[in-house]
Amino acid sequence: MPLRLLKYAWKKSEDEPRFFPEEKPLKTSYDVVIIGGGGHGMACAYYLAKEHGITNVAVLEQGYIGGGNTGRNTTIVRSNYLTSEGVKFYDESLKLFEDLSTDFDLNIFYSTRGHFTLAHTDSAMRTMRWRAEVNKHHGIDSEVVDVDTIQKEVPYMDMSCNGQHPVMGALYHAPGSVARHDAVAWGYARGAQMRGVEIHQKTKVSDIKTKSGKVVGVQTDRGFIEANSVVSMVAGSTPRITEMLEIETPIEIFPLQACVTEPVKPFMDTIVVSGSLHVYVSQSSRGELVMGASVDPAELHSTRSTLDFVEGLTDQMMDLFPFTSRLKIMRQWAGMSDITPDFAPIMGKTDVDGFYLDAGWGTWGFKATPISGKTMAYTVANDRPHELIKPFSLDRYANFELVGEKGAASVGH
Amino acid sequence: MMRRLSPQPLEWINRSQSVTFVFEGEEIKGFDGDVISSALWAQGHKVLGRSFKYHRRRGLLSFANHDINVMLQTADTPNVRGDVVQPEQGQTYKAVNTFGSLAQDKGALVEWISKFLPVGFYYKAFYSPKFLFPKWERLIREMAGLGTVDTSWGERRQPKRYRHCDVAVIGAGPSGMAAAIAAAKQGVDVCLIDENPYIGGSLDYQYANEEALEVTRDDLKTTIAEMDNIQVITSAFVAGFYGDNWLAVNSQQGLIKLSAQSVVVATGVFEQPAVFRNNDLPGVMNASAAQRLMARYAVAPCKEAVVLTANPEGYRAALDLIKNGVVVKAILDTGCGENSWSVPVKQAGIPVFENAAIIEAKGRKALQGVVYAVNGVQQSLDCDGLLMSVGWAPAGAPLYQAGSKFAYNAILEQLLPQELPQGVFACGRINGVFEIVDQIKDGQQAGMAAALAVQDKSVPDFTDYTATRAHSHSYPIWQHPKGKEFIDFDEDIQIKDLKGAIAQGFDNIELMKRFSTIGMGPSQGKHSNMNGIRLLAKLTGKSIDQTGSTTARPMFHPTEVSHLAGMRFRPERLTPMHAFHQQAKAKFMEAGVWLRPEYYATESSREASIAAEVAAVRNAVGLIDVSTLGKLEVFGRDSAELMDRLYTMRMSNMAVGASRYALMVDDSGVVIDDGVAVRYSDEHFYVTTTTSTSDSAYRMIQKKVIEWGLKVTVLNRTGQIGAMNLAGPNSRQLLSQLTDLDLSNEAFPYLAMRQAKVCGVDATFIRVGFVGELGYEIHVSAQDAEHVWQQIMLLGESFAIKPFGVEAQRQLRLEKGHIIVGQDTDGLTNPFEANMPWAVHFKKTYFLGKPSLVRLKTLQKRILVGFELLSAAADDMPLESNLIIDDGEMVGRVTSIGRSATLQKVIGLAMVELACSQVDSELTIKLSDGRMVSAKVVKTPFYDPQGLLQKPQESALGGAA
Amino acid sequence: MKFVTCPSLGRRALSEFTFGGRVEKETDQEAVSEREWAEYVFYHNGAPKTQQEWWYHRPTGIWFLFQRNTLTDSITQVDFANKGLTNDA
Repeated sequence: MPLRLLKYAWKKSEDEPRFFPEEKPLKTSYDVVIIGGGGHGMACAYYLAKEHGITNVAVLEQGYIGGGNTGRNTTIVRSNYLTSEGVKFYDESLKLFEDLSTDFDLNIFYSTRGHFTLAHTDSAMRTMRWRAEVNKHHGIDSEVVDVDTIQKEVPYMDMSCNGQHPVMGALYHAPGSVARHDAVAWGYARGAQMRGVEIHQKTKVSDIKTKSGKVVGVQTDRGFIEANSVVSMVAGSTPRITEMLEIETPIEIFPLQACVTEPVKPFMDTIVVSGSLHVYVSQSSRGELVMGASVDPAELHSTRSTLDFVEGLTDQMMDLFPFTSRLKIMRQWAGMSDITPDFAPIMGKTDVDGFYLDAGWGTWGFKATPISGKTMAYTVANDRPHELIKPFSLDRYANFELVGEKGAASVGH
Repeated sequence: MMRRLSPQPLEWINRSQSVTFVFEGEEIKGFDGDVISSALWAQGHKVLGRSFKYHRRRGLLSFANHDINVMLQTADTPNVRGDVVQPEQGQTYKAVNTFGSLAQDKGALVEWISKFLPVGFYYKAFYSPKFLFPKWERLIREMAGLGTVDTSWGERRQPKRYRHCDVAVIGAGPSGMAAAIAAAKQGVDVCLIDENPYIGGSLDYQYANEEALEVTRDDLKTTIAEMDNIQVITSAFVAGFYGDNWLAVNSQQGLIKLSAQSVVVATGVFEQPAVFRNNDLPGVMNASAAQRLMARYAVAPCKEAVVLTANPEGYRAALDLIKNGVVVKAILDTGCGENSWSVPVKQAGIPVFENAAIIEAKGRKALQGVVYAVNGVQQSLDCDGLLMSVGWAPAGAPLYQAGSKFAYNAILEQLLPQELPQGVFACGRINGVFEIVDQIKDGQQAGMAAALAVQDKSVPDFTDYTATRAHSHSYPIWQHPKGKEFIDFDEDIQIKDLKGAIAQGFDNIELMKRFSTIGMGPSQGKHSNMNGIRLLAKLTGKSIDQTGSTTARPMFHPTEVSHLAGMRFRPERLTPMHAFHQQAKAKFMEAGVWLRPEYYATESSREASIAAEVAAVRNAVGLIDVSTLGKLEVFGRDSAELMDRLYTMRMSNMAVGASRYALMVDDSGVVIDDGVAVRYSDEHFYVTTTTSTSDSAYRMIQKKVIEWGLKVTVLNRTGQIGAMNLAGPNSRQLLSQLTDLDLSNEAFPYLAMRQAKVCGVDATFIRVGFVGELGYEIHVSAQDAEHVWQQIMLLGESFAIKPFGVEAQRQLRLEKGHIIVGQDTDGLTNPFEANMPWAVHFKKTYFLGKPSLVRLKTLQKRILVGFELLSAAADDMPLESNLIIDDGEMVGRVTSIGRSATLQKVIGLAMVELACSQVDSELTIKLSDGRMVSAKVVKTPFYDPQGLLQKPQESALGGAA
Repeated sequence: MKFVTCPSLGRRALSEFTFGGRVEKETDQEAVSEREWAEYVFYHNGAPKTQQEWWYHRPTGIWFLFQRNTLTDSITQVDFANKGLTNDA
């Protein structure tokens, strides 16, 4: 029994300090308005307050804290990307993740499990090796492993994949982890709020006002707010915000679905991903298998579920883990993903002065939560992009300077 | 102790056939038709499971197909539901999530320390010191989870079925049955779905002893049985209601994918437990659970009962109890008052206490008595059964998923559906209709409307049959100073847990759920959501509507992976020569959906076999099956225009009878495909694509034809044409014996295309040089391909022919420095980077991606170069994707590499920064183990730089045939 | 699962179709600036709206144009692509 729990013998949990303050009226003006109260928005607010002393900040969330993609992803954290830009960025994120529980004084259940990305073809093997070599070059623990090694770590996996497309090897990334996604948003929210940031849930932004190319404020369903700096951190809904400023981006919205089984006792420690089979799976600390696949086949701004997804996923799952046929799917859900042409995010300043974008998070936004918050806070505080996010600028497309993350295969959680 | 009752009028058990099984080591005897829970209860068991967190003893709660109190494990299945599954003869069942046994569960120790485990306790500890977290996490993980998985279990797959119908009715209670009949009478095709093995629903279990309803019941059931256009699907539930009325109906035999034009949702309501101290003691159950137990399985819920009620249904249940010999010691009425059954109840001598409130249930291992208050005065009674009848929550998942909203009706104290989507109808108790007569009328109008909607007829106005009195308690929650009032039975969540969550700021329904985990267990909140909403609304001073509800996502009940997956279907394509390859010991590899020989295992090792194939091509002759290439035929007036627009090279100036390399980029200038184009006539081309892009390239080209408005027809001939490449110095001599075509250099020069017969069948010959030898690609119809292949192989014996596979071809082309799209190019490579500026004809006014290429040419930073390794040591061999390092920085990577037997060198291609691309530049390659090896940039082709061998002089052939 | 009412095939499952992107008029390659071309290739307004889209029916190999709302997923019109494509799309 950890000592920290002893106090609850005489203390009611109702007497614990609030994570989020009670609803307050909106002020008429803030230094910074962050649109989107997910992990990214909360992290940005937290670092603005903590590292830059900017506390006159409002985070506006149309629903509830962490209710968008923060609460819908499959919680995987890793840094084994393909490009130098990606690797450096996510490595910093991972390092921040490792200390979040102590920073927050809140257990985010950051659980290092090891992450296998399986290869079933020789071309996938080449991609895995490419990623491993780039990773190692940047000091990331990543290695191509052979079938025997995989079998030893995941003895219950059918390496023949039912006789078709057998596993040929894998990229193994020992630091690959899972975390309690909601807690990450809550921890940042509580930390930001304790430092003076205001969080306003159920507050919808309907317009962003500019004057001679500069942001002057946002219109919300609770009134107008003056602000010279506005940050959009609403991956999955980015085009709805950029449309208010007539900013065009390469982002298209595709739903991404996931599902969980009924809980069972722990048997799976590692995270397993197969790009060819469009499957990724890990077992949560509650015992559910958390599973996902690639994005839906057509553009759509909706979080509806489809039968096609769960049929396809379960079918492919069984090629790797035949015994899962005895499990039951308990719940499925969907999120919306900002998809970019080069599978890399769009971050930093825009053509509109005072409007900052943190978008294009595809299917991997959760793992970037700490670092995107930190670098965006820097970018807003200094009005110049942080070194780590320079490659992710919106105008890189116009300059034909795309980030080559697309080579890292379509399912890369 | 046996609790089996005398035969009941509508019982589901077959008393002539018994079923024997083992539960926690004890033999249990039930009847055919029993579910596991009913057989256990009949035999006197009261403790059927343990709770999730505190391992408290649990009995029956709802007994309505979502009773998570009873979850069992067998040798080959976890989480078997005791209230759904019928026991298998001889099967052994054990309660899930017990440490030791159900009777002696060591997990119950958790309850002793429960005061240290407030809501969300795991967020507040275990993370410091950091190195201990994995141990704590392991412990927490072991404590969580329900059943266990044996990873040696084999695969199970259940075939799926498709079904189309006009009207689907979900739920076969009184209103659902009436809806099905009304719809069917309109002449439409109806599916009536119910999760129970028999139709009837509450009409049967709630009114089993109501003689006045016998005629109604018989009438409904007989009509349904007699109508040919009603299909009854029982023991099946709608797991998900997806877009366009696409229903995933999960039956015991597998998934039925049901497409309905209209849907009537008659799913009814879930009875909600009352929340009070020890409300989870075995013996405390929902009134409807007791009624199901009696009516369906003829099992007495208890001997002495107390009924806690807020609605007439509680009075009705009391009557059912006394009919079956159970003593009803009291009805504790918390606000129902006079109702249609209060008179018979009083006549039966049952004491009714109005203005009652429950204080706590008492008992050690099971219920022994209740403490309650009447008009504020505390009293108590001994009993072994406490029936809760305090309210209902809509079984609304199908409606939520269909997109409808619910709003709170303050008269009924129930959420009712609003704004139903087009083609979706609701009736019965989910609609707030509680009188049987009204439910039938409501069902009739919904069924009729659903049928009329299918027939595009206008739907008459609906009559409102909504009940005019409450059937639910507005706040069936009685807090006790000592706690243990359970709101969520799946997750062991008590009032204090939700209060704690709300007080800490999780005061939004979704946040409360996520922090406290209410509604996240296997029943997905079927017992807990409504009470959770009521509590949150009360504590935050908001209305139920303002408080809202969480989303009811699929699955309605947990659904077997084996059912959702269905049968395995992974199509594979085989070339016409597949049988030959198999006989010739081919090792196959997957290429898209195709299987291709990677090599033929003719020698002692893979490497030796490949080397022998390479040697045959270089020194004699080899034959490779290239049938998997995409093959498109282009006809029509604008053929040349289309070819010019699609490919980076000019195609319109190609002569009839010629061939040309065809490279395609996308709008952004990235290389996406390559192949060979030939011209049959002015308005007729034939072009190949890479194996994996054949479908997407064909699709894209068809789209472009439409977009560009060209008069052209494109056919995908991939499967209709077989193709092979005959290559090597002996190829001409060999081929000349099988065709009348003049193969001389003059008549059939390098890169030319000819059409003639080979082995008696029509063929297209293309003189290609991919592998760098004299060679002919031969395309024939798929049905002739094997014959031609066999003839060539047969005759080839005297020319030392060998079939060769993809791996030998890769090495051969590498010696020529030819790229493979997708291997030497990546997701961003343009033709300049691929070192093929010659393949881009900027003089054409238009082609796909041209402005991007104009731009990219000026921005070029990297290029594909050839290199040879300076070291000869065998363990210095780099692998494809190894990095090239310069001054500690990454400057490129190896895309292809091989040990060239022909050249006796290790050669390769690398994508490098321009600065290190000059011939003779030294490249440092970082091996996977971190060691560095040196290479130098060399010109390509490595082999036969002048290309003399692929277009040899006649003299070089040693006398042409 | 969505269903599509095709002008000649009747009610078909959407899963028989492959999404081919929105219909966009290609910028004139000749008279285009670098920026305009980049905008054509990469940038657009991705907010929810009703748009004309390419959908390929795999079993028959025919391209269709759908009028589809990307918020509600409702398909309001289905045409053969070779008939429905207007030059000012």
